[in-house]
Amino acid sequence: MYTINTIMKRFFKWVFMLSVTISAGACNDDFLNKLPETSIGRENFFNTEEDLNLAVYNLYDFPSTGIYTDEAYTLTDNAYSTGNVELKTMMTTNPSSSTITGGWNWEQLRNVNFFLENFRNAAISEERLAHFEGLGRFFRARFYVSKVKRYSDVPWVDAVIATDNEAVLFGTRDSREIVVNNLLADYEFAASNVEETAPQGAVTRWLVKADYARFLLYEATYRIYHPELNLQGTAPDLLDRAAALAKDIMDNGPFSLYATGNPAEDYGALFKSQNLGGNPEIIFARYYEANLLNGDSGEGVFGNYETYPLKDLVQTYLMADGSYYSSQPNYQENEFVQEFANRDPRLYQTYAYPGWELVRSGTYAQGAGLYVQQLAKNFSGYHQIKGFYNTTNQDERNNMDVPLYRLAEILLIYAEAKAELGELTQEDLDVSVNLLRGRAGMPAMTVNPPVDPVKAAKYPNVTSAQRAAIYEIRRERRVELAFEGHRHDDLMRWGAGKVLESEPQGIYFSRLGQHDLTGDGVPDIVLLPSSQAIPAVREKNSLGITLAYYRVGTFGQDVSVFLGGATSGNLQIIEDSGNFEEPKYYYRPVPQQQVMLNPNLEQVFGWE
Amino acid sequence: MFHSVNLYKKTLAALIVGYAYGPFTSLAAPLFPSPAIGRVHIVGQAQQQISGIVRDAAGLPLQGVSISVSGKPGGTTTDEDGNYVIGAGLGERIRFTMVGYVPQEIEVTEQQQYDVVLEMDASSLSEVVVVGYGTQKKVNLSGAVDQVDAKALEHRPISNVSQGLQGLIPNLNIRFNSGAPGQAAEVNIRGVTSINGGGPLIMIDGVQSSSAELNLIAPQDIASISVIKDASAAAIYGARAAFGVILITTKTGAKGGTNVNYSNNFTWNTPTVMPEMITDPYVFSRLLETSTDNTPWDNVNYSDQFYEYARQRSDDPGVPGVRINPTDPTLWEYMGNRDWTRYFFDDQNFSHNHDLSISGVSENAKVRYYLSGGYNRQNSALTLAEDYFDRYSLRAKVDYQLADWIRFGNNTSMSNTMRKSPSRLNVFGIYNFFPTDYDVNPDGTWANSPVGRAAAGIVDGGQTANRLEQLQTQFTTELNFWKRLLKVNADFTYRKTDENYNSYQTAYTIGYGPDDVREEGDNSATRQGVFEYYRVFNVYGTLSKDIGRHSLSAILGFSQEDYRRERFSVSRNGLISSSFPTIGLATGDATGNEIIDTYALRGAFYRLGYIYDDRYIIELNGRYDGSSRFPKDKRFGFFPSGSVAWRVDQESFMEGARNILSNLKLRASYGSLGNQNISTGDEAVNNYGYIPFMSTFQTDYLIGGERPFGISTPGLVSPNYTWEKVNTLNFGVDLGFFRDRFSVVFDHYTRNTQGMLTLGRDLPDILGASEPRENAADLKTQGWELSLGYRDSYTVGGSPFTLETRLVLSDTWSHITRFDNPNSVITQYYEGMELGEIWGLQYDGLFQSPEEIARLDQTSIIPWGALQIVPGWPKFKDLDGNGVIEKGYTLGDTKDLSVIGNSTERLRFGVDFNMNWKSFDLRMFWQGVGKRDYYPLHFVYWGAYQQPYGNMYGHLLDFYRAESDSEIDRGKHSQSYLNLGLADQNLDARFPVLQSWLADVNLGTRIDESMGMAIPNTGHMLNGAYLRLKNLTFGYTLPRRITERVGIANLRIFATGENLFEFSEIKKYFDPETTNASINTNPGQGTGGAGGNGMTYPFQRSYSFGVNIMF
Repeated sequence: MYTINTIMKRFFKWVFMLSVTISAGACNDDFLNKLPETSIGRENFFNTEEDLNLAVYNLYDFPSTGIYTDEAYTLTDNAYSTGNVELKTMMTTNPSSSTITGGWNWEQLRNVNFFLENFRNAAISEERLAHFEGLGRFFRARFYVSKVKRYSDVPWVDAVIATDNEAVLFGTRDSREIVVNNLLADYEFAASNVEETAPQGAVTRWLVKADYARFLLYEATYRIYHPELNLQGTAPDLLDRAAALAKDIMDNGPFSLYATGNPAEDYGALFKSQNLGGNPEIIFARYYEANLLNGDSGEGVFGNYETYPLKDLVQTYLMADGSYYSSQPNYQENEFVQEFANRDPRLYQTYAYPGWELVRSGTYAQGAGLYVQQLAKNFSGYHQIKGFYNTTNQDERNNMDVPLYRLAEILLIYAEAKAELGELTQEDLDVSVNLLRGRAGMPAMTVNPPVDPVKAAKYPNVTSAQRAAIYEIRRERRVELAFEGHRHDDLMRWGAGKVLESEPQGIYFSRLGQHDLTGDGVPDIVLLPSSQAIPAVREKNSLGITLAYYRVGTFGQDVSVFLGGATSGNLQIIEDSGNFEEPKYYYRPVPQQQVMLNPNLEQVFGWE
Repeated sequence: MFHSVNLYKKTLAALIVGYAYGPFTSLAAPLFPSPAIGRVHIVGQAQQQISGIVRDAAGLPLQGVSISVSGKPGGTTTDEDGNYVIGAGLGERIRFTMVGYVPQEIEVTEQQQYDVVLEMDASSLSEVVVVGYGTQKKVNLSGAVDQVDAKALEHRPISNVSQGLQGLIPNLNIRFNSGAPGQAAEVNIRGVTSINGGGPLIMIDGVQSSSAELNLIAPQDIASISVIKDASAAAIYGARAAFGVILITTKTGAKGGTNVNYSNNFTWNTPTVMPEMITDPYVFSRLLETSTDNTPWDNVNYSDQFYEYARQRSDDPGVPGVRINPTDPTLWEYMGNRDWTRYFFDDQNFSHNHDLSISGVSENAKVRYYLSGGYNRQNSALTLAEDYFDRYSLRAKVDYQLADWIRFGNNTSMSNTMRKSPSRLNVFGIYNFFPTDYDVNPDGTWANSPVGRAAAGIVDGGQTANRLEQLQTQFTTELNFWKRLLKVNADFTYRKTDENYNSYQTAYTIGYGPDDVREEGDNSATRQGVFEYYRVFNVYGTLSKDIGRHSLSAILGFSQEDYRRERFSVSRNGLISSSFPTIGLATGDATGNEIIDTYALRGAFYRLGYIYDDRYIIELNGRYDGSSRFPKDKRFGFFPSGSVAWRVDQESFMEGARNILSNLKLRASYGSLGNQNISTGDEAVNNYGYIPFMSTFQTDYLIGGERPFGISTPGLVSPNYTWEKVNTLNFGVDLGFFRDRFSVVFDHYTRNTQGMLTLGRDLPDILGASEPRENAADLKTQGWELSLGYRDSYTVGGSPFTLETRLVLSDTWSHITRFDNPNSVITQYYEGMELGEIWGLQYDGLFQSPEEIARLDQTSIIPWGALQIVPGWPKFKDLDGNGVIEKGYTLGDTKDLSVIGNSTERLRFGVDFNMNWKSFDLRMFWQGVGKRDYYPLHFVYWGAYQQPYGNMYGHLLDFYRAESDSEIDRGKHSQSYLNLGLADQNLDARFPVLQSWLADVNLGTRIDESMGMAIPNTGHMLNGAYLRLKNLTFGYTLPRRITERVGIANLRIFATGENLFEFSEIKKYFDPETTNASINTNPGQGTGGAGGNGMTYPFQRSYSFGVNIMF
C-alpha cells in the first residue's frame, strides 16, 4: 500500500516526465513564434528598386474624374451644388472650429516620411536613389501645398513621429514662410532629380515642374492679393520662378497643344478621350481601361443630381469675334437660345447648348434625343457636357482618360506670371494665350485690351499696370480650364472670395408662357404662374412633342421652379448665399478636438 | 425510451453517468442501467382492495406518492403516514410514482397488502456535469455551471445547436441577425466581454470550435452541453476561457446490443414579420414625388402619362401592369401594384432533416461504438432560384478496452456543407423595389425595371457555391494505475477544413421594348480556396482518493494547439461561355490574392479539489498559458482561480428542515483569466497585432498599361501589448424545496476586464496613424441570473401526468472604468460610460408655424445642410435653453444631447414547459427580452424619409400635411389616395412633413455625424422588448405492444412549431430579433444601416412534423 505522499510524488513525476518527453522536440520558441507570411516588416523590405516602386505607388495622391465636379463641391462662380459644401456651410451658418472639422489629416505625410526614412536601404545607384528621393519629396511638397492652402501656418514635420515624441506631437504651427520655403526646397530637389521619362501614367520630371509652377503662381499671387499675410514683397521672386519654370516646360518639354484644325471639337476631345497616351498636350493624366480599371465619370456630371454649372461662366465666354459678351445690349435679358448664339466655340464643348443631343439618358435626365433643358427647383437649368461621357457604351465610358496637367495650363501660368510682373509682351501672349485662342478658332488677344467693366467689378483689387491684360488672362484661364478643378483656388489666391456672395443664377426667362430651348423656334416648355394648376391634358408642339410644364414663382411658394421675379428673371438657386468674411474664410480652423488635445495649436485669422 | 419522463430521465442519467461525458469518465459505473422498474410476477383475477405503506430507503413514510392502476382511470395518493388504499384486480399492475424517486410497479396477487420502498432517483444525486478535462458531481460543484441534456434539442425543427440553446440557460445569450440559411449565431455568456469582442470558448469533445462550426454538428449527436460561466471552472482553460466555456459532448454507445435510431422532420417555413408596404401605384408614386418636392433635390418627377396610368391601375387593378409606351412604342411601360418582397420571398418554403444513428456496446463490454449520419437541407425564402444550405454529417466514435488498465478510442467526424445562392442576389435591394416596378414583359423577357433586372440577375446571372468540408479525428487513450487511483488521459486531434468557393456572374438579357432585347451585366468568375488545419494535443493526469470523510482530487496537465489557414482567391472576367463559367475559360485579366493566418497556444494546467464530509468544498484551478499573439517577452500569463462551496443542507442542524428545504448550497468563486482574442475583423491584426507590417494592394492607377501594386505603410505598435486580464467574482446559491420539486439557482457576478487592447492615449492627428493598440482600457460587467424549476407528477385520468417547468431570467450591464479619453468626448469610450447608451435629442412634437420655427434655431441639424425647416418638421427640446438646437460632444457640455436609452438587451428570459401524459408529450417554450431600446435607422422604418429610393409603408401615412389639397389637385388623385385621407390636412401627425433625406443615414450614424431624424430621438425610440413562443411540440408515442410486433422498440410521431408567435411593439415594422444586427457599443462608430436592420433574409416561422424510430 502506498501512502498518499508517495503516490502524489510519483504522480507528478510521471506527468512531468510525460509532458517533457512529449514536448521535448517542440519545446522551443518556434512553436509560439508565428509571423505574418502574407505581409512584410520594414526590415525585410526596401531592398530593391521594385520595392521602392511599390512604396512610391502608395504615395500617389492625384485626383480623377472628380475634377469635373470639383468646382461645384468647393464652391465657385462656375458651378454650384445642392450638396454638402464646406464653404457654403461656412457662409450661411456661424462656423467655428467645432463645426468645420475636416482636412486635418496627416496620414499621407507619415507615408512620405516613412518612405524617405527607408528608401536609402535599397542597393541601387546614387543616381537612382536621388530619383526616388525626388519622388518622395515631390509628394511631401504636394502634401504641404494642400495644408498651406487650408491653414496657412502648419507644423512642418519631416520625420516619422513616434508616440513619445511630445515635442512634435504637441508642437506649434510653423509660419507660412517657413513651410513654403521648405516645400519649395522639396520641389526644387524633385525638379532636378526625378527622371524625365517614366512609363505612361507615372510621375516624371515634367509633371514635377508643372505642379511646381502651378504652386509658384498660386503662392505668388496669393501673397499679392492677401495683405493680411504681409508678404507682398516676396511675390516677384516667386513670379519670376513660375514664369521661368513655365517657359522651361514650353521650350524644352516635348509638349504641344492638341489641334487637328477643327476648333469645334479639338478642345472638347481632350475630355472624352479614350486614349490620352499619345496626346502631345498631356503632361500627366489618369489613364483608364475598361475592365482593368474603369473610369466612368458618372451621370452626375451632366447635372440635376447635385452639381450644375452657372450663368456667370456662360457670360464670361467671348463672342466668336472676340468681343465681350457683356458688351451686347441687354445681354442680361438674353434667353437661353440667344445667349448661346455666336460665342467662343469652347462654350459648346463645355455646356449643353440649344440643339445638343443627349445620348446617355439615365436617372437624372429625360430620355435620349434632342435635349430640352430640364428645370428643377434649386437648379440653374444649365448642364455640363465637359467631362460627361455622352455614350451608352459602358466600355467606352470606362475607357476614358482624365487630363490633369496639360500644356494649356502652363501657357496660362506663363502669361499670368508675366502680367502680374508687369512684363507681359505681345510675344509672350503669342506663345501662350494666343495659341489657345488659335486652337479654339478665336481671334488673338492683344497686350493692351479694353477693360471689361464686368471683370473690373469682379476683381477690384487688381492694381497692376497691366490690369486689363490680367483681366483677360483670367478670363482665358477660366474659359480654357473650366470644370477642371482650378476655379476655387483661383478665386482664393486672387482674394476674390466676395464674388461668392452674389447669388448664383440660372437660365433667364423674359416672360411666362411658351419658350424654345432647342433653338429650332418651336416651343418646348411652358411656364405657368404659381396660381395656375398644370392642366390635365398637355399641349403638344408642332413637332408632336408634349410640352414640359413648370409652375414658377418666387422662393417659399409651392412651385416647380423659382424665378427671380413673378413673371420674369433668372432661375433661382439659393435665397441667400451668405457672407464671405475676409480674410477669415480664406482659411480653415484647426478642428476644436485637435486644439483640445494640443493647446499649442493656435487658431489664426479670427477663428475660434 | 419515451415511456415516461422519469424513466427516460433515469436512463439518460445512467447514460450520462456512465459514458456520455468524455469517453473514459469512469469504468466503475455500471454499463447498463439497473432495471428501472421492479416487477413481481404473480397471476390472479378478482377485484380486491389493496393497501399498504410507501416508505423511502431510510424507512421514513412518503407522503403524496401517486398511485394508479395501469390502464384504469382514477388513482390515489399516500397520506402523511405513507398509507394508501386502492382497488385492483388480480394480475393488474399498480404503479407508484413520485418526483425524485424511481417509479415502482407491482403486479397484484392474492396478497392484499403491499408495502413499497421507493429508491431515490439516482439521477438527482449522482447527476454528473462535464467540466474541463473531466466531470464532477453536480452536487459538488462550487462554480457557476449549467447543463442541458439532449432532450432540450430533440424534435425541434432546428438545424443547428445554437438555435436550440437560445433561451435555455440564463445568461447564455444567443442571437441571430437574420433568417439566412446556415446563419451562424452570435454566442455570448454574461454580456459584454471586452470592447474587442471575444466570445465564450466552445469545446466539442475537448476541441475548440467557432460558433459558425456549431452549424457543422448534427444536433442529434449531442449528449449534453455544459456552460461554465464564472472564473472557477473556466480557469483550467486559462487563456481562452475568460468569457465562459461551452462544453459540448457527443453521444457514445451506451446500451447493449445494436440500437438503431432514426428521426426526421419536415418543415414548412414562412416569414415571421414582413413590412407593410404601400402597393397602390398612385398612392406610392404621388407620395414619393411629394417627398422630393419638399427638398432641393427634386429628382422624382413622374409625368402626367405616368400618373394617369397609375390612377387607372389603382382604380381598376384589372388594367394590365405592362403596356407599350404610348409616347414611345419602342419601349415597354410598367405600372406594377404589388409588394415585391412577396415576389422574391416565398410564403412557404421547405426544409427537411434526417438523422440515423447506430450505437451499442459489445457483449464483452469491451467495445463501445456510436455511428451516425445526418442530412439537413435549409432552403431560404428566396423564390426564383436555388438558395440553400445543405449539410451532410458523419460521425464514428469507437473505443476499446485493451486491457484492464488501458483504453483506446477514436472519434472521427466529417461534415460537408454547401451554401448555394445566386451570385447577383442582393437581399437588401429586394426591400427597396418600388411597387410600380415590374417583373416580366408580355413577350416573356425580363422587364426593363429594377425588379426585372434583379430577377434576371437571380435567375440568369450566375451562382455562388461555397462548399466546406471538415474532417476531424481524435485519438484518445486512458491509462489507469494503482487501482484507478491515478488516471492518465491523452488525446490528439487533427482537424482539417477546406473551403471551395466558386462564384460566377454571367450576362442576362432585359427587354426594353417589343423588339429591343439587350444583354447586360459582366461575365466573371471567382474561385477561392481555403486550406486550414488545427492540431491539439492534451495530456493530463487525474488523481482521486477518498480517505474517510476527506475526498481529494487533482488534475495536472499540458496542452498545446496550433492553427494555420491559407486562403487564396483568383478572379477573372471575360467568360467565354456561360455554360462553362470557369476561370479556365475566361479571357480577361486575372487578379489573385493570398492570406495566411497562424497562431499557437501552449499551456500547463491544474485543478486541486478537496471535499470534507460532502459539506465543505474547495477547488483551485489554474493555467500557465502562452500565446503566439503576443511578443516574446509578454507571451506567457498565469491565470489562477479558486472557489468554495458549502452544502448547508448536509449539516446536522438542517435535518429537521430537510422535508422542506431539500437542498441548500452556497457558492463563491474568484479568478483571473486571460483573453487573447482581438476581434478587429482583420485576422492579420488579430494574430500579429504586435508586429508592424506592410501589406500590398492594387492601386487605382494605370501605369504603363498595368495596375501596379503598392505597399502600405506599417501601423504603429506599442510595447505595452499583452493579455487582457479578466477578473470575475461570483456568488451563487442553489436551493431545492420539497424534495427538489422546486429548485432555485441564483448567481451574481462582477467581471472586471482589465487592460483591454485598444487604441491608447488619444494623440494629436499629426501623428499620422491610428494610435497603437495597447492594454489601455478597463471594463466592468455585472449581472445576475436566476433559474427556477418546478417538476411534479400527478395522477390524471388514472395515468401519471408529469410536469417540468423552468424559468430562466438574467441580466447584465457594463461600464467603462478606464479609457484614455481626457476630454471625455462622447464619440469615444469614456470612463463611466454605460455600454449601449444611446445619445439623442428629446422630441418635442412638430413645428406648426413659421413663427415657431423662427423661435428655435435648428439649422445645425439639417441633413446635408440643405433641407428646409418648414411647418411639420420635428422639433426638439432645447435642453440648455440657448434657443439653438445643437449637439455637443464633450461630457458635461453635450448641449441638447442626453442619454435617451440603451440598446443593451436586459432581462433576458426563457420559460420552458414540458408535460407528459400517457403516450403524449407536450413542450412549450417561450423566450424573450424584457427591456431594450431601439432606435430605427433604416428604410423599413423610414422609407422615403431616408432617401427617395425607399418604399412607403403603412405606418408612414400618418405624416404631417400642412393643408388639404386644392380641388384641382384632388381631381388628379386616385380614389384610393383620397380614401386614405392623403389629400387632407393632418397636423397632429406621428411622422413629420414628408421630406426625403430627413432621416438619411448616409451622412453617418455616429452621433456627431447624424442629422435630422437620423439623430436618435425620444419620439421614435422603440421598445425592443419581446416575448416569443419559440417552440411548441406535441408528440405521441405509439403503444409498444403494437410497434414491437414489427420490431420497433419505440416509435414517436411529433408535430412542432418554431417562432410561432410573438408579443412585441416593433413587430409592426420588423421581426424583433432583426434588431440584433444594429447592436454596437462602440461610440466611435456609427450603428449604420449595415448588417441588415430588417432588410435581410426574413426570420422564419416553422411548422414541422417528424418521426422518431428506435429499433
